[in-house]
Amino acid sequence: MSDLPESGQRIASDLPESIEEAVQHMLPRDLLHDLRTPLGHILGYSELLIEQMRAEGHEEFIPYLEKIRTAGHQLLELMKDNFQSR
Amino acid sequence: MPRILLVEDNEMNRDMLSRRLQRRGYDVIIAVDGQTGVSMAQSEAPDLVLMDMSLPVIDGWEATRTLKAGAETKHIPVIALTAHAMSTDRDKALEAGCDDYDTKPIEFSRLIEKMEALLDGSDNASQAEKGS
Repeated sequence: MSDLPESGQRIASDLPESIEEAVQHMLPRDLLHDLRTPLGHILGYSELLIEQMRAEGHEEFIPYLEKIRTAGHQLLELMKDNFQSR
Repeated sequence: MPRILLVEDNEMNRDMLSRRLQRRGYDVIIAVDGQTGVSMAQSEAPDLVLMDMSLPVIDGWEATRTLKAGAETKHIPVIALTAHAMSTDRDKALEAGCDDYDTKPIEFSRLIEKMEALLDGSDNASQAEKGS
């Protein structure tokens, strides 16, 4: 970058250094907040139903509910890994 | 049975969290905005407040500052709940007077641990106050 003229260096210093950083620049903070809210509903209601089904003895539904919960956690981990700093 | 004031404007979050807390044996009372949360904390004297931060009328930070400034409510532990995961959000909540902080989506067992720690501490403080 030091080979660039001063104006070019200024532009280059403003560019994101990685794909992750570039994606973060594209995702407004409010959007990340808004994604966490429905994700919380998916996780929370699947856990609530698992508790309820277990209490009522409907064990047959639990594996399906656990799949929903696991998928929700995978999505949450993806968000944390990529957008934790925002 | 500890009485928990849940201040939350999102209907699904309210429904989900209140059901799970009631299942664990907590007595849950609900406010849907910050101003009502402050009024209910004053009138109902809950053992702990779960405070969403993004609330209508007055937000969770302002509501917490009001509770912590009130002689009758300052001892009530407040846990901030927010969907913002930045460390600055945590700092902002603690600066407002919140006793602890958790991020959404709520990890229920972690939240229960934080609540129990504060409820235990609050019991001990009350007993010490009575003994002095």
